[in-house]
Amino acid sequence: MSILEIEDLSFTYGSLRNKAGNHVLSNLNLHMEDGESVGLIGENGAGKSTLLKLLTGLLDMQEGKVLVSEFEMKKENLNKIRTVIGYVFQDSDSQLFMSTVYEDVAFAPRNYGKSEEEIYEAAMSALKKVHMEDKKDRQIYRLSGGEKKLAAIATVLSVGVKLMLLDEPSVALDPKNRRNLIRILNELPGAKLIASHDLDFVYDTCERVVLLSDGKITADGEAKKILTDKELLEQHGLELPLSFSRKISF
Amino acid sequence: MNRISDAIVDLHKMDMEAGKCGWLQGIHPLPKLFVTLIFILLTVSFGKYDLPGVLKMGIYLIILFVLGDISVKLLLKRMKAVLLLVCLVGIANPFFDREVMFRLGTVTVTGGMVSAVTLMFKGIFAVSASYLLMVTTSMEDICYALRKMHMPKMFVTVLMLVYRYMILFLKEIQRMTDAYTLRAPGQKGVHYKVWGTMVGQLLLRSMDRAQNVYDSMTLRGYNGEFHLRCKKRAGGSDYLYVFVWSMVLVCVRMI
Ligand SMILES: Nc1ncnc2c1ncn2[C@@H]1O[C@H](COP(=O)(O)OP(=O)(O)OP(=O)(O)O)[C@@H](O)[C@H]1O
Ligand SMILES: [Mg+2]
Repeated sequence: MSILEIEDLSFTYGSLRNKAGNHVLSNLNLHMEDGESVGLIGENGAGKSTLLKLLTGLLDMQEGKVLVSEFEMKKENLNKIRTVIGYVFQDSDSQLFMSTVYEDVAFAPRNYGKSEEEIYEAAMSALKKVHMEDKKDRQIYRLSGGEKKLAAIATVLSVGVKLMLLDEPSVALDPKNRRNLIRILNELPGAKLIASHDLDFVYDTCERVVLLSDGKITADGEAKKILTDKELLEQHGLELPLSFSRKISF
Repeated sequence: MNRISDAIVDLHKMDMEAGKCGWLQGIHPLPKLFVTLIFILLTVSFGKYDLPGVLKMGIYLIILFVLGDISVKLLLKRMKAVLLLVCLVGIANPFFDREVMFRLGTVTVTGGMVSAVTLMFKGIFAVSASYLLMVTTSMEDICYALRKMHMPKMFVTVLMLVYRYMILFLKEIQRMTDAYTLRAPGQKGVHYKVWGTMVGQLLLRSMDRAQNVYDSMTLRGYNGEFHLRCKKRAGGSDYLYVFVWSMVLVCVRMI
């Protein structure tokens, strides 16, 4: 079953009619299946974050059609869509705002009117999935960068989303935390759309990669195939993942 | 460390102390808020010359500070600005009210002096009692208790948001002043010429951060109300707490 269907999506900061406006996306098409992990790559300013924000309804749709699960992206569907789709911010500090990890993870289920037992269950199961259950009573500000990222993922998991959007998840993580995050992401069953220019990270977490440039998906295919295509990557201001460039040069 | 990072650390520390597992922290927030309010109301209700009466109420603070193992030094350090302000409220009284109350040796004590000191103690006690509540109860729990006491939703939401955004705002100030001082060694404070840009930047950046936090909240189903719930359930010891303190405070007020 398809979880995400984007048809002819266009977006301009300002207004579409405005010629001087910044055309970020134009007639973008993308299709994602349930449970699929897709890496969204593209150089700085390609519009990756913009696309993710459109999919969560943080930016208003201008042109095109987006279907999330069976819901069409519209104001009146936003509440339903947001129980299907979860967004993990690039900056975990802006995502976490309650005082303790548990309170933050319980925030969403609480808003959907669950009972206290259900909330506890949902929060604990989300925390278990990211191996943070023993840190549930920690103050947010006492978490390390890696732990904050995991807590942020848990806040999204606690509503049982089917599609997780992650914006640059590996930024500012040290190698150990990065490996840990890769392992945890690979354990999670739902679909993921991971925007990143850390191509090694994308290779380790995604089976499929789409390349965003000029406001469109210009390449779409198996991760290995796209991430080893030196010419294609360099054409779009990207470089081969380190793991491949080493293999090739030796 | 500068003053701003001190302020941030203090806020976080107070949050953390509130989450500790002392007996006072373990009491349900509603009884604590209720007793705090009774204490403040009763303390304020004393006549303006009734200094001994007000001082008697101090028993509540002494008992809780000792039993709750709460540092008075930290109270003075953290609340010094507020306490100072409270002390200044009655400062003009001695000039208006010159009626002689009694003599202490050669010193004549006027009504104004007594009422100034009484007012000062009322203020200090009210601030200390609020502080006591804050270091033993998390902001979420206080807001929960306020809602339970039928404080308007709007008010509690604003309180909650102000508290959250204040930390963001302080952090942003810190980040900017850090970046500034690192590139302006040997300067004390920020040069007046860049104040304008700094303040403008600060505003824009804080708005950006606030927007992010707000986005994160709406994405998770927030629609204008914090659904506050308390993990603790009110039990026998909580009722006892309210009962004992109400009795004690009312008795102290009566005699
Ligand atoms: N709020 C905004 N108003 C106007 N233009 C914006 C805004 N946010 C982003 N842009 C512009 O839109 C374009 C796409 O930005 P976006 O943040 O989506 O890129 P990105 O692919 O996420 O880049 P990065 O890899 O650096 O995160 C950029 O040219 C950027 O300057
Ligand atoms: Mg981005």
